[in-house]
Amino acid sequence: MEKPIQDLSALRHAVIEGDVPASVTAARTALEEGVQPIDVISQGISPAMAEVGKLFEEGEYFVPELLMAARATKEIFVILRPLLAQAGSKPMAHVVLGTVQGDLHDIGKNLVAAMLEGGGFEVTDLGVDVPPETFIAAVKKRPVQIVGLSALLTTTMPAMKTTIEAFRAAGIREQIKIMVGGAPVTSKYAETIGADGYSETAAASVDLARRLVAAC
Amino acid sequence: MNDQQWNTLVSVVRGEVVSPLPTAFIIDSPWLPNWAGHTILDYFTDDRIFLDDNLKAMRAFPETIMLPGFWSEYGMCTEPSAFGSVSMWGEDEFPFAKKVLRSPLEVELLEKPNPRKHGLLPFVIKRLQHLQPEIEKAGHKIRFAVARGPLNIASFLMGTPEFLEAIKTHPELMHRLLDIVTDFLVEWIAYQREVFPTIDGIFLLDDIVGFVSRRDCEKFALPYLQRAYAADVTVKFFHNDAPCKASAPLLESAGINLLNFGTQHTVADMKSWTNNRIALMGNIPPRDVLADGTPEDVARSVTEMLNSLDDRSRLIVSCGGGMPPHAPTENIRALITTVEELTR
Repeated sequence: MEKPIQDLSALRHAVIEGDVPASVTAARTALEEGVQPIDVISQGISPAMAEVGKLFEEGEYFVPELLMAARATKEIFVILRPLLAQAGSKPMAHVVLGTVQGDLHDIGKNLVAAMLEGGGFEVTDLGVDVPPETFIAAVKKRPVQIVGLSALLTTTMPAMKTTIEAFRAAGIREQIKIMVGGAPVTSKYAETIGADGYSETAAASVDLARRLVAAC
Repeated sequence: MNDQQWNTLVSVVRGEVVSPLPTAFIIDSPWLPNWAGHTILDYFTDDRIFLDDNLKAMRAFPETIMLPGFWSEYGMCTEPSAFGSVSMWGEDEFPFAKKVLRSPLEVELLEKPNPRKHGLLPFVIKRLQHLQPEIEKAGHKIRFAVARGPLNIASFLMGTPEFLEAIKTHPELMHRLLDIVTDFLVEWIAYQREVFPTIDGIFLLDDIVGFVSRRDCEKFALPYLQRAYAADVTVKFFHNDAPCKASAPLLESAGINLLNFGTQHTVADMKSWTNNRIALMGNIPPRDVLADGTPEDVARSVTEMLNSLDDRSRLIVSCGGGMPPHAPTENIRALITTVEELTR
């Protein structure tokens, strides 16, 4: 029997509170009671992370609260991933993320990864200091709709442009949408280097990714 | 910084009306060496280049105050190196400090460093000692003890996401970490003051303070900032160009009397949140305007900012953060000139 949607409020509440053990317990309980894994995402994690993003935008939440909600989401996905694969469920899109070459900062990229995963995207996180060829290899390995490039430093921002150019040189630029973000990045800069989208915050990256997928 | 500039700074901090309004910039390795025609690594490793680049900037813009003035630094690696953090260098890249704690539990193993002996700190001191006669011959004095703030150092030791998560998951251990870091900071500041008696200011930089809520700021930032700023000096200068609405009302109680903040907030808002008790240094957009704009853009931005203010006390016009990489001479000149014209 499918569990009514409103029963996922405990899960949503636990994620919003960043309570990792409670989130995992609520997810397990929901699954045991017959909620489909895909509904755990669409009716539990996604609205919870959207609320977390909203609270962040409103200045109610700060980075630690965002990180804890992201961690709760991550732990739930450890349980969900094999079930989703078993059920043949398809994510909204596959996003490959990484901090560009020369840059070792990961906080923004990690937050974006969690927000996107919570928003129903499959995320492959390539880590930090990622050279263009690693991004390209990831896109060639299996279907990818979006590549996300992160940079924290003004000195490493040019690696975003280099990476986009490398996609072009490899002849696969048109297969993907590229979104960029990071403290020094602006929409003007994103446009200049030929990115398809720019997100100012991790929370806004979900909407951006949805728009980019729609435009695919 | 020469005597006149120091006196101007102190006047502003005390709330005296200064005409024209002073301008000031935090200058360090992200901007200075490239502006002066050197690589970042040459700037760090050659005392002569360090001195010449600093003097070149001070001579190019004599009307403005360069803060903290002859900042002997190794980017983000300075203080973490004393804790055993590996420093990573590139010829023209910002150095990066690798984290030393793999989990919050390892805080128990962390030892307080000795600022006289550990990491790059003796190099920081020796560089300034070697150059002190020439600095003073040029009419300047070493005015500030400088360090990264307690949360900033802690985040380099642990990794920023890991530290910010751990204040939620392991609050007691994070207090232990901040205790160790702050004990070290107090000694590091005292040592700088001991070696350079001309120091009458403390300058701490800590963006991580802006990443946490007011409640976490009260618990995890304020007590440690209070200890770090406890020494009896005239100017207690703080840099945080992350959002600071939550922390701004608390900073005065840490003793801070001069704040460089970012572009997320207006000067008017910051004046309100600090009850106009802290001199503000800001906040022309550093990248989009000062580095990437035209002199006309800079002049427009400065004019808009000044016109928006009824009360210009406790204000130093600067950019919202440190001098950004590649900020050109003509844009810096435009900022200084516009402020002089509008506030004389």
